[in-house]
Amino acid sequence: MQSFVHVCLAGLSNGMFIWLVASGLTLIFGVLGVLNFAHGSFYMLGAYCCFTVLKHLGAGYWAGLLLGPLAVCAAGFVVERFFLRHVYRIALPYQLLLTFAFVLIFDNLVKIVWGGGALSAPSLAFLGGSIQVLGRKYPVYNLFIIAVGPAVALGLYLLLERTWSGRIVRAASSDREMASAIGVRVPALFTGVFVFGTWLGALGGGLAVPYVGLLTPGMGETIIIEAFIVAVIGGLGSLKGAFVGALVIGVMSAFGTRFFPTFDMFLIFILMAGVLLVRPEGLFGGAR
Amino acid sequence: MGKKRFSRRQFLKIAGSGSLAVAAGGLGGAIASPKWVWGATPAVKGPIKIGYQAILSGTLAGYGEFHKLGVVMAVEEINAKGGIAGQKVEMEFRDSTTKADEAIKNARYFVDSWGADYLGGIDSSGQALALAPVMAQLDRVLMVTHAATEKLTEDFVYKQGVKQIFRICMPTYNDGNAAAFIAKDFPAVKWSTVSPKYEYGFTCWKMFQETLKKVKPDAQFVAESWAPFGTTDFRSHINTIMDAKPDGLYSTEWAGELISFVKQAKEAGLFEKVQYVMLPVGAAMDVLEGLGKDMPDNIWISARYFFQYPNSKENTDWVARFYKRWNHYPAYVSETGYSAIYAYKAAVEKAGSKDTKAVVAALEGMEMDSPAGRRVFRKEDHQAIYDVPWGKTKTDPKYPFKVMGETKVIPAKEYFNRPPFEGPGTSPPFK
Amino acid sequence: MKGKTGAILFAGVLLALCAVPAVAGKFTVYLLIRVMLLGIFALGYNLLLGQTGLLSFGHGAFYAAGAYGLGFCWLHLSGHPLAGIVAGVAAAALLALLVGFFCVRHTEIYFSMLTLAFGMMVFSLIWNAREVTGGDDGLVGIMRNPVALPGLGKIPIGTDFQFYYFVLLFFALAVFVVHRIRTSPYGLVLSGIRENARRTEFAGLPVRRYRLSVFVISGAFAGLSGSLEALLESNARPFMAHWTHSAEPILVSLLGGISTFAGPLVGSAFFVGMREVIQRFTENWMLWFGIVLLVVIMGFRGGIVGVAEGLLKGRPPGGEG
Repeated sequence: MQSFVHVCLAGLSNGMFIWLVASGLTLIFGVLGVLNFAHGSFYMLGAYCCFTVLKHLGAGYWAGLLLGPLAVCAAGFVVERFFLRHVYRIALPYQLLLTFAFVLIFDNLVKIVWGGGALSAPSLAFLGGSIQVLGRKYPVYNLFIIAVGPAVALGLYLLLERTWSGRIVRAASSDREMASAIGVRVPALFTGVFVFGTWLGALGGGLAVPYVGLLTPGMGETIIIEAFIVAVIGGLGSLKGAFVGALVIGVMSAFGTRFFPTFDMFLIFILMAGVLLVRPEGLFGGAR
Repeated sequence: MGKKRFSRRQFLKIAGSGSLAVAAGGLGGAIASPKWVWGATPAVKGPIKIGYQAILSGTLAGYGEFHKLGVVMAVEEINAKGGIAGQKVEMEFRDSTTKADEAIKNARYFVDSWGADYLGGIDSSGQALALAPVMAQLDRVLMVTHAATEKLTEDFVYKQGVKQIFRICMPTYNDGNAAAFIAKDFPAVKWSTVSPKYEYGFTCWKMFQETLKKVKPDAQFVAESWAPFGTTDFRSHINTIMDAKPDGLYSTEWAGELISFVKQAKEAGLFEKVQYVMLPVGAAMDVLEGLGKDMPDNIWISARYFFQYPNSKENTDWVARFYKRWNHYPAYVSETGYSAIYAYKAAVEKAGSKDTKAVVAALEGMEMDSPAGRRVFRKEDHQAIYDVPWGKTKTDPKYPFKVMGETKVIPAKEYFNRPPFEGPGTSPPFK
Repeated sequence: MKGKTGAILFAGVLLALCAVPAVAGKFTVYLLIRVMLLGIFALGYNLLLGQTGLLSFGHGAFYAAGAYGLGFCWLHLSGHPLAGIVAGVAAAALLALLVGFFCVRHTEIYFSMLTLAFGMMVFSLIWNAREVTGGDDGLVGIMRNPVALPGLGKIPIGTDFQFYYFVLLFFALAVFVVHRIRTSPYGLVLSGIRENARRTEFAGLPVRRYRLSVFVISGAFAGLSGSLEALLESNARPFMAHWTHSAEPILVSLLGGISTFAGPLVGSAFFVGMREVIQRFTENWMLWFGIVLLVVIMGFRGGIVGVAEGLLKGRPPGGEG
């Protein structure tokens, strides 16, 4: 029983963490129709910027979490406004390769600025430490992640469904031309959404600092694949799908590692292929 | 972050330039170049070209930088004292990445295009294995300074006769066999592991199990969990171990993954439940520094070199010089890289020639003193034999990271596999 | 680049390639072999991407199938290089048939994601089936035995120079075959599918079957390239199946010009050459390569060949998508 609960907890925290990273990716795809490879790089930049605020400006982790992702938004703005905007109408390979080019650039820039070595995050004071769950210790910070996940999900839902700007975003994503015809400044809107998605990714990176405990150039690469898989399984463009997909993948991975360790990655990709074959729109995807 | 980082532009100009001042300070005064010794035997044509490759990109990029610190320091010192056999040493550094085809391409570039006389480096075992037949073709000595697979020396050098490969760093024998020797004295009976899900992890765990079974027949192996390369979340693996309630934990996780693993294991309370923990590459500087006070005490760690061992004048002087030069304690790859250059120097000067055959002959059986202690290159498999320490972590106010307290050194001769590497009497324990 | 001029140009290039070992050093010869291997991979791949409009992230799996196919043949069946190549290409084609059967049901992003999933499944399989494939160490020690042909005796391919001509032969063959495919009625259908799949279907053509066949053909070329690399480097490795390797033919086709014939070849040469040049000056080759890629996508979407053709015809460079 203790084992089962702890595996569930591990799965939940991992799943919510992947959701946080995948949320930005999904939002960007859902509204702009672009699959942003560089999302992993924004995640990485978010972590590094947060770390810098925390360590070198001595401002503490929470200031880092606040300021770091905001700094990364600048990068997101540059990418969308000056590069991505010009390739929206062009064939898929070019878009993907454009974002891939940015992966190369950002990964290398991080290495130049922060060095190639792994940076270790100091332990947290507030929200640090562990509590006893059924006789085994579980980190408080992971509970925080489990709580933040749904909070972000709820926030996004309210933003998109209940606010005026959210309504405009939804309108523009389903019919670009019509939205433009009624006076929505679509290009500016897209930039805004992209920057917001970037911010979500960078926030994930900031939250990763105590969760993973370690920063390396290239840390974006594994997480982006997991985020992709989650986005696909949940339904590309569906935030609800990404949330559920992340939960499924997180918990499945945890149980897989614990009880069926032989073919970990293989099983996840089979699931991905299975969903794509049977129901390509994913669990919750609509027509896209 | 105060480490003086080393940019490519800088090192390209290293051969015979601004290094003099620093090296002179470190070596205590310039001495007249011993060129006159070699004037009589101009057999060695300069310049001496050394091609070095290590991982300089991706998650392990820090390792390449550590290699460089040691190698550059060696080249600076040697050139300040007149070079190898009176000839200046030129060095070129390349990113090996983690891909075998990159490593092969770099090796070919070094030899066929740049004209290297000697190659060094290589972090990944897979790359080392892929490079072996290529080095035979290129016919230059490759001194491996990190890759640990015993297959390199047992199969390629000994069995297949690829004479060009030498290894100066400690191979998996320490991670597997020596660990078992240390473990046999512990009361721990039920062992478990969280190890990397690739050949290195599999090999070490297998070696540890086989050797421990021989020296402690009542040992049991109750749990194993394999973490793929790039794992950042070890919690499920930690759960597997804790469910099995072992007495001992063995892990060949290394670099950043080990840092994450230890942090997360600590959060889960693993070290309170399991008393005997062995981390064969836990004494790496990046791990100790990265963990700082998060590294628990009383963990048994080892590495391919640890700056506190041996407690000899040569080593303490070297560590001090290294710290002065780079504002950083030497990583084990810094020491192996440094010594790899000096090994070549010794071989060329002994042989009086750069010719690969002569260098190989000079290196075989060669004894050299290095910061890590006395090394002997075994003739049969070209593996350097030297001792490394195992130690229990302890806090020391002098350092911002944990260091070795109680230390045990098992003589390498007692746990290195012996030729012909097959059949009875070739693996420890030996009579 | 049409008809006669194209043929003459290629004849010229092939002649030049034949002459290279006489004038260039060993490392240049080695780099050219790598260019040709990547060229074969990308040329076949571009039949799928540039001609038919399908973006696959899984072709590394077929490349790996070619390499491991040759490796297993060498270990267990026959050391004859041609036998190995046949085994490799067959393995790749079969795998492509199996994977393609599932993937061509979808298009666009779903097709791409499916190929990514299958490719990574193959990668994972190779990595984990250690007993059979050697795990992440791969299959090592594959030797280049002489090619025994009836009547011609044993032709050695052991040295780099000899192997260069061996690869050149296959390279020329690949160029010829792909060109014939592109300009054939079959190729025309593929273009039609790219332009407008629905209309092509209405014209009565079995679109899915065409997609599957070109998937298999491009997979076979990947396998050919893979088995040749196994002979070159004496090993087969799991990373050949990783999606980052699958991205290489996409990159070089884009650099050279996706909608041109010679694009993948020119792109391969440029990719290998540029990487080498950048690495001589800086370790930060990723940064510079990313910048080059950016420049090409933003301003020179026709790729090197596309832009060159355009300039020759008086068109300004820029996007054509």
